Amino acid sequence: MSSETVEKDSKKKLAAMHEAGESGSDDERDDDDVAEDRPAKNGSSAALASAPSGEKIVHERPGGASMIWTIARREIASNFLSPITYIVTAVSFIVFGAWFFYHKGGFWQVDRASMVRAFDMVPAALCFIIPLYTMRSLSDEKRVGTIELLITMPVKDSEVILGKFIGSMTVMTAQLALLTLYPIMMFKWPWHIGELDWNPFWVGMMGLWLLSAAGTAIGLMWSSYTDSQLLAYFAAMITLATLYAFGQLAVVESLKGAPGDALAFISLQSRFEPFSRGIIDSRAIVYFLSITVLCLLVAFRSLESRKWS
Amino acid sequence: MSTDVMIYANGLTKRYGSFRALDDVSFEVRRGEIVGFLGPNGAGKSTTMRILTCFIAPTGGVAKVRGHDVFDDTLAVRASLGYLPQRAPLYLEMTVLEYLEFAARVRNLDHSTFKKRARSVVEVCGLAQSLSKEIRQLSHGYRQRVGLAQALIHDPPILILDEPTSDLDPNEKAEFLNYLKQIGKDRTVLLSTHNLKEVETACARAIIVSRGRVVADGALDDIRAKSGRVRYVVSVQESASDSPYRGKGQLPRSADVEQALSGIKGVKKVAELPTDERAHAYEVASEDSTDLRPEIFRMVADKGWVLLELHRDTQTLEDVFRQLTIGDERKNRQLGPSTDTHAAGSADDEDEEEDEDDDEDEDEGDEDKR
Repeated sequence: MSSETVEKDSKKKLAAMHEAGESGSDDERDDDDVAEDRPAKNGSSAALASAPSGEKIVHERPGGASMIWTIARREIASNFLSPITYIVTAVSFIVFGAWFFYHKGGFWQVDRASMVRAFDMVPAALCFIIPLYTMRSLSDEKRVGTIELLITMPVKDSEVILGKFIGSMTVMTAQLALLTLYPIMMFKWPWHIGELDWNPFWVGMMGLWLLSAAGTAIGLMWSSYTDSQLLAYFAAMITLATLYAFGQLAVVESLKGAPGDALAFISLQSRFEPFSRGIIDSRAIVYFLSITVLCLLVAFRSLESRKWS
Repeated sequence: MSTDVMIYANGLTKRYGSFRALDDVSFEVRRGEIVGFLGPNGAGKSTTMRILTCFIAPTGGVAKVRGHDVFDDTLAVRASLGYLPQRAPLYLEMTVLEYLEFAARVRNLDHSTFKKRARSVVEVCGLAQSLSKEIRQLSHGYRQRVGLAQALIHDPPILILDEPTSDLDPNEKAEFLNYLKQIGKDRTVLLSTHNLKEVETACARAIIVSRGRVVADGALDDIRAKSGRVRYVVSVQESASDSPYRGKGQLPRSADVEQALSGIKGVKKVAELPTDERAHAYEVASEDSTDLRPEIFRMVADKGWVLLELHRDTQTLEDVFRQLTIGDERKNRQLGPSTDTHAAGSADDEDEEEDEDDDEDEDEGDEDKR
């Protein structure tokens, strides 16, 4: 089948899904027995009416949000049952602690109550950590074959992708939340080594969260393309590291003028930079969210492409 | 389309590149039917099932489940189905109960319905002892039971089971097939397997696919007979030896008997079977399913020969299956630079006879529809 037809078909399908979704939200809670008495509201109801008469019409599906949550919950449980999560968390916190306090004099050298230093390092580290959480999400399902069972349940492909995304994001959010333990323990309780200006810190955390969302979507996208976890990890890691490295001065300066600016513009590092200084940059928010949406759409299409492969 | 048609496939084709996994597959399954979906490995059973369950899309053709198109109305199709894929792929880190709960939540069962359904499903699938075990710890047989349990949890009107018994032990198989018969009364079941005994136990009808095509479709008896290869074994006394010859006239010569048998109307082929010198034994193949025994008896009696044995062999399903699908195996064992087009060409040649059967099936199917 040519790519053009594929596209046409998938558009048709998307439209059908959309329609089914719309009517689904109207119909799903309705009593099955009244389904036949109801006048046909739209295409999907007409299709329902063409089902064998006199029999219970099954259109039982929870609403979209509840379905996404069901999938996300499974994903979260699976992540928290996996030793990888704990190993990654433990190792990353040990490394972070050592770097934050001791690398080149560390926190003490700055001699100020500031967490800015954290935001120099964490984004780079996230490029390596995020793929660890996303590498399994779809590739493992493909390898083991569970995706077949999942997708043949009345679940939309988009709900699978969103559920997976929310699942991975929850784990990432938990990890970032753990990071806030550092300032809390340093400046609130049990130690009180100074008065921290919390606002820039929260802005920085928000930046990290947005960066994680973009990273998770990129990881999910790669995970949807392969059934090998290792491949999914490295593809996502390299993508993130490259996007991050574009922002390095050396790279930007070697490409003078417009190309350099363009690279700097799409770099994770330069987009994140305002957040680390406590500035909420709306352009950066749009940037991170665009990457997230774009990659989720690509992942959705990749999952859908199984149909035509 | 009749309102009772639960699964409807018309001209399903699936191509992977130049390879045709399915080639114009058409069939219908009605309410209350348990249909065995038979075929050698790689014949297209799983591909068909994946299309019916909306996992993949066909390259061509139409498939409908309960009147819902598998392409345009996938959610309605999937909501009506219980599906067990091959080898029951499950989330290994979940416990059996968690998995069933997950399936129930996706199917929108409320808690009390889930409890009720879970109780019956657990009883049927024999999972009471393993509910709190992680699926990872279960043997393949038990994983398959869990797979079945999730397919049954929402009490679907249509069940599509891809080799559901492959990992079960003989006792479990028997129990499962019994259960299937029981629930199959008001449901529709499409069951793929290559175990012909199971089909004979549980199904009244079978569809046989080979190399992506339907080569037989019908009631088991019809399939057995329709392969057109009903054969008769006839043996006629050749020498009197010790006891006196009870026939009239001369002892028959081999050529006479063969000629006489060939002369009977409806006989397609006569082949001599090896016997001792006391008898001439022949295998007679008939053209259609009309019973030739009266003709054969009459002929032998008229000639005055002594008939030692006459019986009709309806073939076992296994014979038919082998006959219809033997090309697959032959092709697998072929070496050499067989390109796809070449293979397809030679396959067509081998299939000519089968295609005729195939056409007959389709014609009859059309009549049914009318």
